[in-house]
Amino acid sequence: MNGASASGNGSSTAAIDIRYLRVDYGDFVAVDDLTLSVPAGEVFGLVGPNGAGKTSTFRVVTTLMEPTYGEVMLDGVDAFEDIESARRIIGYMPDLAPVPSDLKVWEFLDFHAAAYGLGNRSQRRDRVNECLAEVALTEQRNSWCKALSRGQTQRVVLAKTLLHRPRVLILDEPASGLDPLARRDLRHTLRRLATTGATVFVSSHILSELAEMCSSLCVMNRGRLLASGTADQVRHQLGSTERVLTATLLARHEEAGEWLSAQPAVHDLRIAGQQVIFGFKGDDEAQADLMDGLIRLGVRMRAFEEKRSSFEDILVGVAETNRRP
Amino acid sequence: MNEAFSSVSPVRRSAWKPWENPIFRRYCQSRLRLHGLGVSLLITVLIAGFIVALTHSIGVRSHTRVVDAARMGIIPLLVFQGLILFILGTAQVAGGMVAERDEGVIDYQRLIPMTPLSKVFGYLFGLPVREYAMFFATLPFTAWSLWRGQVAWNVWLPLYAVVVSSALLYHFTGLVTGTVVRNRRWAFLVSIGLVFALYTVIPQMAGFGLVFFKYLTVTPVFEESLPDILPKSAGAIVHTVQRLAPTVKFFNLDFSESVFTAFSQGGLIVTFIIMLCRKWRRTESHLLGKLWATGFFIWIQIVLLGNALPLIEPGHLFPSRAFTRMVQVLPNWKPQPMEAVAMSGIYGLVTLLLIFVLALIITPSAEHQIRGWRRARKQGSSSLPHLADAATAFWFVLVMALAGAAGWFLFTQGLVESRWFPGHVVSLRTLGFFAAVMLTGSIGFQSLLEAKGGRVVGLTAIFVGAVPVMAGAVLGTVSNRMIPLASWLIGISPVSMPFYAAGTLLSLSELPAQTARAIPRAFYFWLLVGALMALWLAVRLWAARQAMAKSVLSVSGEDAPIADPGSLPIR
Repeated sequence: MNGASASGNGSSTAAIDIRYLRVDYGDFVAVDDLTLSVPAGEVFGLVGPNGAGKTSTFRVVTTLMEPTYGEVMLDGVDAFEDIESARRIIGYMPDLAPVPSDLKVWEFLDFHAAAYGLGNRSQRRDRVNECLAEVALTEQRNSWCKALSRGQTQRVVLAKTLLHRPRVLILDEPASGLDPLARRDLRHTLRRLATTGATVFVSSHILSELAEMCSSLCVMNRGRLLASGTADQVRHQLGSTERVLTATLLARHEEAGEWLSAQPAVHDLRIAGQQVIFGFKGDDEAQADLMDGLIRLGVRMRAFEEKRSSFEDILVGVAETNRRP
Repeated sequence: MNEAFSSVSPVRRSAWKPWENPIFRRYCQSRLRLHGLGVSLLITVLIAGFIVALTHSIGVRSHTRVVDAARMGIIPLLVFQGLILFILGTAQVAGGMVAERDEGVIDYQRLIPMTPLSKVFGYLFGLPVREYAMFFATLPFTAWSLWRGQVAWNVWLPLYAVVVSSALLYHFTGLVTGTVVRNRRWAFLVSIGLVFALYTVIPQMAGFGLVFFKYLTVTPVFEESLPDILPKSAGAIVHTVQRLAPTVKFFNLDFSESVFTAFSQGGLIVTFIIMLCRKWRRTESHLLGKLWATGFFIWIQIVLLGNALPLIEPGHLFPSRAFTRMVQVLPNWKPQPMEAVAMSGIYGLVTLLLIFVLALIITPSAEHQIRGWRRARKQGSSSLPHLADAATAFWFVLVMALAGAAGWFLFTQGLVESRWFPGHVVSLRTLGFFAAVMLTGSIGFQSLLEAKGGRVVGLTAIFVGAVPVMAGAVLGTVSNRMIPLASWLIGISPVSMPFYAAGTLLSLSELPAQTARAIPRAFYFWLLVGALMALWLAVRLWAARQAMAKSVLSVSGEDAPIADPGSLPIR
């Protein structure tokens, strides 16, 4: 089965519980038997290359699309048995975050505030202003939605998503189109929302971006879940224990090189001046043992550095592996 | 920000109070902005004022009475109001719906916690709100004309009630079109085309015995009100002519035109509401459920018969009577036997086409079917619920075909066994053949659609449905000797079958000499071929479904049924 639990504590406290989810478009399987559990209060990232099945998963979780089969529970509510209750729980920001061209920013937000029954006109106005402040768009309150930049549009839709204080926020590529400052603000906003009890389920095709903002994440490709957990756990599950190590020695380079070459986890060793550079495939424990061995050998080591594969490298590797027939 | 993350409390709004509906208010905000609205109202008031001033002035100058001069503007105003509500309003509803989808904001609206019915009404009244404002801007002119023209309230009230109900019907048409058709330009064209068809083409069916269709327009009520809104001299003439016509008869019951129009339009409006609610609940759903589609078909049959049968004995149903009334040669009028034969054929054809349309709505695509079987597999079930969208539509189309054959038979029996054609009877054998025609066409169409998909059906419709008729028609005009061959060729098309059946089976049929042998032979031959083909297609469909079920259900391993099948309902 293609499943994971972000915290490993089962689904009893899960804000989002996806079981055996499958989505087909004709013969194409967009999501293949996905089982996933996101605990309450997490910022949980879903990462994968284009066509991995992220948006299909989100559209099913938000009840916008009926899956071929599978079950989605949102805070204990069956998303397909009780659609109306499920929809009250979620706040959804779709990819490319569309806005209506014939409304002003405050009208767009006020419409949604009214639709969610957020009190009378003055209460709604207060809430709209609060959310605009949250996304730093107070000055654009009276602007036409169609006149906003891409990043501003993203932020207006994020404000709309926050309006009714949803328990589960589902954000599809929220950082696309944002400048670095706005990305930082988004990161802070999401983390703060999580501390107040909301669960944030966020997607991106940029793994490093998610690693920064998420407490845990999962990786999908071709509709299947490949790994989930913390960033390190994901790295480990994807088999990416490969790293390049560099030992800077004051003397006895040749001797150290010979000893290292005899270690099964070491490969591609070369000596460049004071540095012994080699590839290493092993976990953190094995790496510690290696350092220990070098010290026991009696070489005088001035520095020991490691360079791991980047998240992007891992994702590219995953995508390419799966692309092969 | 003070966050207290909890789900919002249930938002329950009455679907019947548009002013509380956020979607309606959202459109009031965007479509009633001062600038755009001001220009629209200015143009509307100018045109309405021009109509009233011009007609009144002409009336006064031609020395008609004040009352008559005031009445002269009522009908042009009504036409202008119809243009605003029926054409502009419908286009706005269809186009606005597609625009929501184009912009991508429709997903937000799907997620807001409002009932599907509230959403439907929000869009229904919200999208054309400017057109309603324009309509209201013309009302003072209408009110003045009615007041000065001394038109009684019991005349104008039903008329305007039907104008509003017709506007709703057409706006629903636009809403359904906008929901289903994905391209904005196409949605606009299709909705306007449908309104045009509802207003001009479909009511023409009334002239051939299918009286019900004219009640989908304002025409009957308009005609009923005509004597009292025209200048008195013209009104008197119309009134005299109208006295010859009956009120609406429905089996043994009598209705006023406005009540029956409301009844007819109501049935269609309710069906449109069902369609839209289904789409709002789940985008993937069929427009109608199988049971509702079958019920809707039976309802149409009942109203067609209920309207038509009481009009046979007095002769009002026959097109030739309407024609002779126009040229005032009534006293010696008598329906022609072939007129009744043609009316029977038209009834059969309309019934068959209606079954095709409903079969298109309720028949699952291959993708739908596979998804349904995969769900069944996960649930550990080996069959699909009969009413699920993914289940076969075969049995429901079968029921419709039988009901259609029964309706066609009753209509034909009413015509042939009426006082106009003494000595003629319609035997039960005819019912058998009518059923065979309906079953052959419907089952063949549905089986092909379900097994092979819409593209194959489209090609079949062209090459088996249309081309033989066109080729036969051309061939028939070449020379009289070719007419028998043309008859055989036309007989290939399933749409010719109802006419061939009526021409062959009814004792009052008087086929021309050139076709007297060819049409019956072609009918029996092509009916047999069609029946065998339909049977073969049905068997193939059955086998294909079995194979699909087997291939999906037999997959093992990771796709095996889950531990708790009860938690995965088949939808």
